[in-house]
Amino acid sequence: MKKYALIIDHISCWGCKTCEVACKQENNAPEGVKLIDVFEGGLKTVDDKTDVIFQSNVCIHCDEPACVDSCPEQAIAQRDDGIVVLDEKTCTGCRLCMDACPYHAISFDTQKDVAKKCNLCHHRVDNGLIPACADNVCLAHCIYFGDPDAIQRQINEKHIRRNPVKNKEL
Amino acid sequence: MTKTTFTYANTAREMEVYGYDSMIKSHCRMCHGGCGVLVYLKDGKVAKIAGDPDCPINHGTLCSKGIGSLQLVYHPDRLTHPVKRKGPKGSGKWQQISWDEALDTIAEKILNYKESFGAESIVMGYGTGRENEAAIYRFANLLGTPNVLTAGHFCYGPRLATTIITCGSNPIVDYENHPKCIMVWGNNLVISNPDCYKGEPFSRALDAGAKLIAVDPRRTRIAARANVWLPLRPGSDTALALGMLNVIINEVLYDKDFVENHVHGWASFVERVNEYPLSRVEQITWVTKEKIREAAVLFATTKPAAIQWGVAIEQQINCADNNRALLALMGITGNIDARGGQVLFRPPKIKNVGQFGAHKMLSKEQAEKRLGGNRFRLAGNFAIINPKCVWDAILDESPYPVKMLFLISSNPVITRANARQVYRALEKTEFMVVSDFFLTPTAELADLVLPAATWLEMDYIGDFWKRHGYILPRRKVVQVGKCRSDHEMLNDLAHRVGQGQHWWETFEGGLDYILEPMGITWQEFKAMEYIRGELTYEKHKEHGFSTPTRKFELYSTLLEKWGYDPLPQFREPPESPYSTPELFKEHPYILITGRRQPGFFHSENRQLPWLRELHRDPIVEIHPETAEKEGIEEGDWVIIESLRGKVRQRAKLFAGMDPRIVSAEHGWWFPEKKDPLHGWDESNINILTDNAYETCDPAMGATNVRTLLCKIYPENREGDR
Repeated sequence: MKKYALIIDHISCWGCKTCEVACKQENNAPEGVKLIDVFEGGLKTVDDKTDVIFQSNVCIHCDEPACVDSCPEQAIAQRDDGIVVLDEKTCTGCRLCMDACPYHAISFDTQKDVAKKCNLCHHRVDNGLIPACADNVCLAHCIYFGDPDAIQRQINEKHIRRNPVKNKEL
Repeated sequence: MTKTTFTYANTAREMEVYGYDSMIKSHCRMCHGGCGVLVYLKDGKVAKIAGDPDCPINHGTLCSKGIGSLQLVYHPDRLTHPVKRKGPKGSGKWQQISWDEALDTIAEKILNYKESFGAESIVMGYGTGRENEAAIYRFANLLGTPNVLTAGHFCYGPRLATTIITCGSNPIVDYENHPKCIMVWGNNLVISNPDCYKGEPFSRALDAGAKLIAVDPRRTRIAARANVWLPLRPGSDTALALGMLNVIINEVLYDKDFVENHVHGWASFVERVNEYPLSRVEQITWVTKEKIREAAVLFATTKPAAIQWGVAIEQQINCADNNRALLALMGITGNIDARGGQVLFRPPKIKNVGQFGAHKMLSKEQAEKRLGGNRFRLAGNFAIINPKCVWDAILDESPYPVKMLFLISSNPVITRANARQVYRALEKTEFMVVSDFFLTPTAELADLVLPAATWLEMDYIGDFWKRHGYILPRRKVVQVGKCRSDHEMLNDLAHRVGQGQHWWETFEGGLDYILEPMGITWQEFKAMEYIRGELTYEKHKEHGFSTPTRKFELYSTLLEKWGYDPLPQFREPPESPYSTPELFKEHPYILITGRRQPGFFHSENRQLPWLRELHRDPIVEIHPETAEKEGIEEGDWVIIESLRGKVRQRAKLFAGMDPRIVSAEHGWWFPEKKDPLHGWDESNINILTDNAYETCDPAMGATNVRTLLCKIYPENREGDR
């Protein structure tokens, strides 16, 4: 069972990309490698309007992560709390995980010749700290960390407050 | 598994886990505003920057620029000692000198020019970034020059000038008390650099259910989320506001008590508004009558409501009237100084920027020499000048020669209209000093460049000149090289030009001086989180407004006195399908400029890797239909051309605006290019903008950089033309 999740309420995202820079500051990924990537998504209907909303590409720590099985070096493992960790030191740069990931959430560091992805700041989480991107940097308060069910409830409540008529069925 | 309790910004835990030596709270200044920050230090260096959860402005959140400061402070290209130019201007040849040599040279030049040509031949200047405004005005006024060249003619200055003449101060959205309707007008506050409050309280107001109206030619994310979006024709803001006022007045949706008791000039104002029926406004603005009415009714009938306005409406020929029409909307709907509306917040009892700026020390005789003061009289009365007046004085020595420029945090070859003229003027300037972080294209034309301190390297009273009613301590965290804050530098220079008695031994004395009326010193303030002024609402009910009539002046007695129309009117943009139909045949698109991007602040931050990575190239947005017509594909480098010149940016197809509009970015130069001028004219949109006096706001002198006509075509087709 998943203990922790990083969930982004995309409808609230303004595309300010502060989370990307907060991640850089924490994880120091080299230029061109983004562990979280915010970009303009395709068209979507929100509150009866056609809209382009921002999407983010970040490892979602799947229940059954394809990347774990794809790695011949066992450099990627899922922990008991659900966090999928890629260990750079074991990685040999074969890129099989990148092909296996259905979300294209794994990047490649061409300088070190290793794959890189969001490890949900497990080094912080294990020390009682919130992952860098979710540690209240977001001015839209749209990045959540914690229990997945509780987060979904919070997001739903927010959407009802914002638009009581249209979102009441949520 | 045991359950861990997580809390935001867990400072104690951060310190323990990462082994930081200390954490100092400070106040960011990477943009026009400021946010509370936590700065973590290790081995004497800044190691991490985070938002301060106790700060009433940002509540712990931050933006990319704030975090990116870490890469600014320690950037390898940063200037860390004064330099003087060795070769010709723009040759990129510099020699390191001492602070004493630099300041003595500057002092000698200042004194010589003052003696030979008058103090007015020395123009001081600043851009937007380092909260050094009051210190620069103080230096200039004591020197006797009325010429301080700022962005004030078309950025924030107009908001201050127009609000002061209309209602005594700048009304700020009272996010704390939950507006129920917010109208965002020409502002993208969630990624830009708004004054006072930032995107965080705005986001929370929406999450609490506030209705949203967006006025923007582009479908920004804010516009997309709005209950009503008014995609107006660029430059037609005053007409749109007058149209909304027309609905509110004729459907009697205004606040009768406010109008009966607190406004000046109602009858004439109504007469003016009636000149703008919705049928006419629809033609001018390209927004349907139904949409205008829907927005007007929603805004007027939802209480409390507020307008979050941005700089876009000020960089136009209708600058002052745009502001005044929006003020009228705030006023007659009863939202001025109303809880949850827009409040005339009182600052703490300190010496304000006007007092600190020593404006009273400038003699009347010198004040009358202010460049353009007779032409742009609203600006002149607020000690603001139009930039072209300075360039003309340098190039034509008219009405008198300007010999020396002292630009502090300013990069005018990139950020001022008609950049080619700016370049010619800087090239001709006899003696020019720049204080900045890097050798910018402007600095490359200087004689001396001083290494400026960032916000992390100075003590200051943050948001000293803002109108949200707070002051917050900016605490010096580190020292980098020989960099000095502009305030310390001017304090030192003041002693060398004979105005030492009005300054202090070190600038800390200046901070004590500002705080003196509160009976505290800088050292005492430094130990505090912040100070907020007295919080009161509806002050006009007791005291009236701080205007000549003590009323909210819909009809401005001051504009009338200065020889202007006392009521807001719409003027067609200087170049448009209607004002210049012949030009429109050759230049068939309306070019809007200055779309904000996360990470950048005007011409700044393009050398900071974390921020440049967010946005690699200058991007021009083109409607897909237009792109197809012009043979442009996504990602193509294209040429944008106006009557003044042409530049290149990369095309992005964007359907969220009228196909007749093209939207370009501003502020571009390329620090990574090794030629000394760093590609200053390649993508710099101000190569295309105009600064002719007749295209500027007649009262404020605002240059119209936002709305012009252009053609656009693929770069590889350029040879064919």
